[in-house]
Amino acid sequence: MTVPKPTPSQTVGPFFARELLWKDGGIVLFPGRGNRITLTGQVFDGNGAPIFDALFETWQADANGKSPSGDDGSRPYGYGRVSTDTEGRYAIETVMPGPFKGPGGETYAPQISVAIFARGLLKALHTRVFLAPLDVIKDDPLARAIGDPDRLRTLIAARDSKDPTIYRWDVRLRGAGEAVFIEF
Amino acid sequence: MAATHADVHPPYLYPDYKSTRLRAPAQPLVRVAPSPLETTGPVFPKQFVKESEADLTTWGRSAPLGEKMVLVGRLLDEDGRPVRRSLIEVWQANASGKYPHPVDDHEAPLDPNFLGKGQVLTDDEGRYRIVTVKPGAYPWQNHAFGWRPAHIHFSLFGNAYAQRLITQMFFPGDPLLAIDPIFQSVPEAGRNLLIAELDLEQGLEGVALGYRWDMVLRGPRATPMAV
Repeated sequence: MTVPKPTPSQTVGPFFARELLWKDGGIVLFPGRGNRITLTGQVFDGNGAPIFDALFETWQADANGKSPSGDDGSRPYGYGRVSTDTEGRYAIETVMPGPFKGPGGETYAPQISVAIFARGLLKALHTRVFLAPLDVIKDDPLARAIGDPDRLRTLIAARDSKDPTIYRWDVRLRGAGEAVFIEF
Repeated sequence: MAATHADVHPPYLYPDYKSTRLRAPAQPLVRVAPSPLETTGPVFPKQFVKESEADLTTWGRSAPLGEKMVLVGRLLDEDGRPVRRSLIEVWQANASGKYPHPVDDHEAPLDPNFLGKGQVLTDDEGRYRIVTVKPGAYPWQNHAFGWRPAHIHFSLFGNAYAQRLITQMFFPGDPLLAIDPIFQSVPEAGRNLLIAELDLEQGLEGVALGYRWDMVLRGPRATPMAV
């Protein structure tokens, strides 16, 4: 039997704004309630310059740690999509995801799966951002796979000291402080 | 023998494509199994997509300029199973090689009858069909006298977040493929997978050329073999 080869990835390029962006794409929908939070930050390149043309996507569990299924009649639950602005900034308004279990009983800490696409990225950059401090996430499967706490810290969003509903997460794609990216 | 992802996917760093130099991660990726969350994905309601959005030529008051074409194909996973009811988003330049985007500085005309965006859900066999005009090639500033070959952008969701893929489809026999660093970044074994084939009978007699392009997504749970 011939096994089909996967279709290769190509860059999203610079010209996706009208095509892929939705009104309120940064507001993540859920059927139930939850603690409203905003994940926000900037995306930087290898020189520390803001990336102004990235597509930033999120997929996450609901407040009870369940994978969203279904839609509100217009858009899917659980999914966010925005572009960065001229300062490289993105913002996703959502609910605090609950922790969830893996097939082997392992616990996934509160996290949001993130994919970044941009001109100059021939493949998506996948990662997971944690919404809990280091001591809470240490048994998470990705935290264990990373090991090095300095590397792990690149994936921990910092809770704003004045507004506790805001989580700040800056993403450096290359160089000093480069975020950990994953492959499945 | 299954193709490994490394066989077909481009690297992050491909210096001939200059924008990769400051954006490609320098550290190796950390390999993990998809989480239970990532083996599921956004579910787009049927009403998210209007049937008319599969035809990019009916958006304006009259027909857009250019060579009208029909593109058909199937969306499969690596086991050859159809990916059903899955969102496909497409976008492209007009026949003059111009995008209706503020940062597109190519001195070519916009077409008031062509927006260059569409979307479709695959059917129960994983099939899709779109009607459009062939996009034009356009110059870009990556290198002297650089021109991108004609291409259509595709954004695919599959049925799981781990299957998410954004890519580009190219046209057979295009001499610009040989000098396009974005296309050439794909290892040789993968390049023909990005090129549609002519399939005249899928076209519209006397009206539109037919092309076929199948796409294959990784399995939702498959972890690539360790190298």
